Amino acid sequence: MKKEEHIMGKIEPAIPFPNSRFVHQQTLKRGRAIRSDQIAGQEIQETVGEIRLDDPRLSCRDVSVFYGDKQALRGINLDIGRHEVFAMIGPSGCGKSTFLRCFNRMNDTISNCRVTGTIMMDGRDINHNETDPVSLRVRVGMVFQKPNPFPKSIWENVAFGPRIHHLAKTKEGLHEIVVKSLQQAGLWDEVKDRLHQAGLGLSGGQQQRLCIARTIAIHPEVILMDEPCSALDPIATGKIEELINTLRKDYTICIVTHSMQQASRISDRTAYFHLGNLVEVGETKKIFINPLHPLTEDYITGRLG
Amino acid sequence: MTGTERDKLCPLLFIMQITLIIFSILLALSVAAYFFGCRRAVAIAQGNIRNLHSLPEHYGFYAAIWCGLPALLVLGLWTVFETPIMTHLVVSELPRTFQELEPGRLNLVINDIKNMANGIIVSEETDPNLLAAADRYRSLQSMGQAALAVVVLTLALGCGSVALYLIRAKQRARNRVETIVKGLLFVCSCIAILATIGIVLSVVFESIRFFKLVPVSDFLFGLKWSPQTAIRVDQVGGSGAFGAVPLFVGTLLISLIAMVVSVPVGLMSAIYLSEYASRSFRAVAKPLLEILAGIPTVVYGFFAAIMVAPFIRDTGSRFGFDVASESALAAGLVMGIMIIPFVSSLSDDVINAVPQSLRDGSYALGATQSETIQRVVIPAALPGIVSGILLAVSRAVGETMIVVMAAGLSANLTLNPFETVTTVTVQIVTLLTGDQEFDSAKTLAAFALGLLLFTVTLILNVIALYIVRKYREEYE
Repeated sequence: MKKEEHIMGKIEPAIPFPNSRFVHQQTLKRGRAIRSDQIAGQEIQETVGEIRLDDPRLSCRDVSVFYGDKQALRGINLDIGRHEVFAMIGPSGCGKSTFLRCFNRMNDTISNCRVTGTIMMDGRDINHNETDPVSLRVRVGMVFQKPNPFPKSIWENVAFGPRIHHLAKTKEGLHEIVVKSLQQAGLWDEVKDRLHQAGLGLSGGQQQRLCIARTIAIHPEVILMDEPCSALDPIATGKIEELINTLRKDYTICIVTHSMQQASRISDRTAYFHLGNLVEVGETKKIFINPLHPLTEDYITGRLG
Repeated sequence: MTGTERDKLCPLLFIMQITLIIFSILLALSVAAYFFGCRRAVAIAQGNIRNLHSLPEHYGFYAAIWCGLPALLVLGLWTVFETPIMTHLVVSELPRTFQELEPGRLNLVINDIKNMANGIIVSEETDPNLLAAADRYRSLQSMGQAALAVVVLTLALGCGSVALYLIRAKQRARNRVETIVKGLLFVCSCIAILATIGIVLSVVFESIRFFKLVPVSDFLFGLKWSPQTAIRVDQVGGSGAFGAVPLFVGTLLISLIAMVVSVPVGLMSAIYLSEYASRSFRAVAKPLLEILAGIPTVVYGFFAAIMVAPFIRDTGSRFGFDVASESALAAGLVMGIMIIPFVSSLSDDVINAVPQSLRDGSYALGATQSETIQRVVIPAALPGIVSGILLAVSRAVGETMIVVMAAGLSANLTLNPFETVTTVTVQIVTLLTGDQEFDSAKTLAAFALGLLLFTVTLILNVIALYIVRKYREEYE
């Protein structure tokens, strides 16, 4: 609490945020108004910026996540559009990864984790009892922070998804998918001569691109990336970012990142999370040049986090 | 009873007591040296231990080691060489008639002398020469003890005080103590290795004696096992056939049945426990499974003989099979149950060691839990599972009690699990129990069987180790 008080202490009077439901208008920089309109009968909390989109791919309303008694996310409202790269930034432990894992229900695998609220994907509630997490995950792929190729060959790694979903009837068809995915992931030229060697024999950056190839091999609609470059060097990071750039025309990409430069380079829209709250959402340019919320500005300018 | 009377009655006990007393004094001296060493180091450092090369404890240990170790070595050497030296001295003073006896007879005489010296009356009439020798032995013994005490304690005090005196601030006490400790660790590991080598060599040499009587090819490829041989020429007995094939077929048959039972059950229970079971169920089930491993094999044995074997016989006869009351099936089944915890516990550990990130990666691709287990978790854990199974196999191959009770003793060359068979270990037991002469082919055969069994399990263990090493770093 000491740290929080310190942050708050800079702006008088003290902001009741993040624990209160409303942010007082006078505490905002440049005196801009907060959006506090009603969506689906629910009130948007605290968040400033453009929350709503027309025809969103993903639409979250009042999403909260609990680990046991501890609340990790507090009533998030957010739309994510089609074919956009959406970046989530924020200090460690702010809940951005947890939020990301809501979209493919990976939080199901954590036994004491509970998600409330609604997340609509193309108009259907993904948390509904009738939604099968397995078929959801076919549509929403995920790339993890640490490259996690299976202890199998490069070819087997990419063929894993298509094989379990029977996307190819013949071995030739499967091979075609593998080749295409590796090409899309920009890894083909580097591995075409050693497709049957172990995926773990690749370098870190290659492993991460292998994981992306593995993900796009099952043709998802959304790709979630949880700090995909945090274990990589700048050159490998550059390649991944290039890859994200080429993927944006086919996929919706949600990326969690600790690097603000990365968010500003690759994303269309950016969301800033703080202590389980979604503080600000907006076009990436706006967020980085002209943030609305003082907490966002503090984080971006390096005074916080 | 006075001290001298006790000396006469049981000098042996008295000698042991003296050794013990010397040992205790040595220990006390070393402890004292430790404390003096610490204090002297602190005194040299003039209160500031930064002036020292090592911590005061190291100087203490160093002094204690100098005090204790040389003296202990002398004590140890004395204990080993005391008897041969004194025997030699006594024998060299005996009249020529005794010295020219053959070694076996001479040993008997020496034993008599020792017994007399230790106050045990051997026979009514004793040779005065022997009586004199016994006296001589006794005086040598007490002289030796006294000399030992003096030498050892002087050595301890001498070395200890020199070491204490030589403590200097710049002395590299820590390094020296660590070198000595390293040497100690080396000696300990050598003891284990030497014991193994010793056991193997003794088995090998006895086996060589056996193979002088029975050709290796007869033993390895002979199809008949009947170790009863005529002890005397006029005796009516078995001709003696030492073909190990029926025994190994029996062993393999029973091990196979055991593995057929234990591998699926153990592996599946491991998968359930590590992937599906709730935490509370796991907390109860895992210790219970491990209790199964703690049941003595004798208990499994009579469980097999009294419950399982008759059950199988009755069930078999109901379906029209002719089942022996002691069958390979009964022994194999019970052995399989015995091995389940080995398979399941080891597999459970390796399955748990598969990183969660691999499971997450699979789930994120839309794999179901069972697909994830089949295609990711089990392949990743396979090397560990295989080595666990191979360890279980060597356990099954070496198992004795269950087979003795439930599978029978007659060496049948058959693959029919309803018949009675016998295994290598059971035959070793029957060859060596009871009163045996240790130079007949029959008893020596046990060593040859032991050697063969040892080779087989060794190969299995080597394969297991190889598999684990080869695939261990796969997912790291």
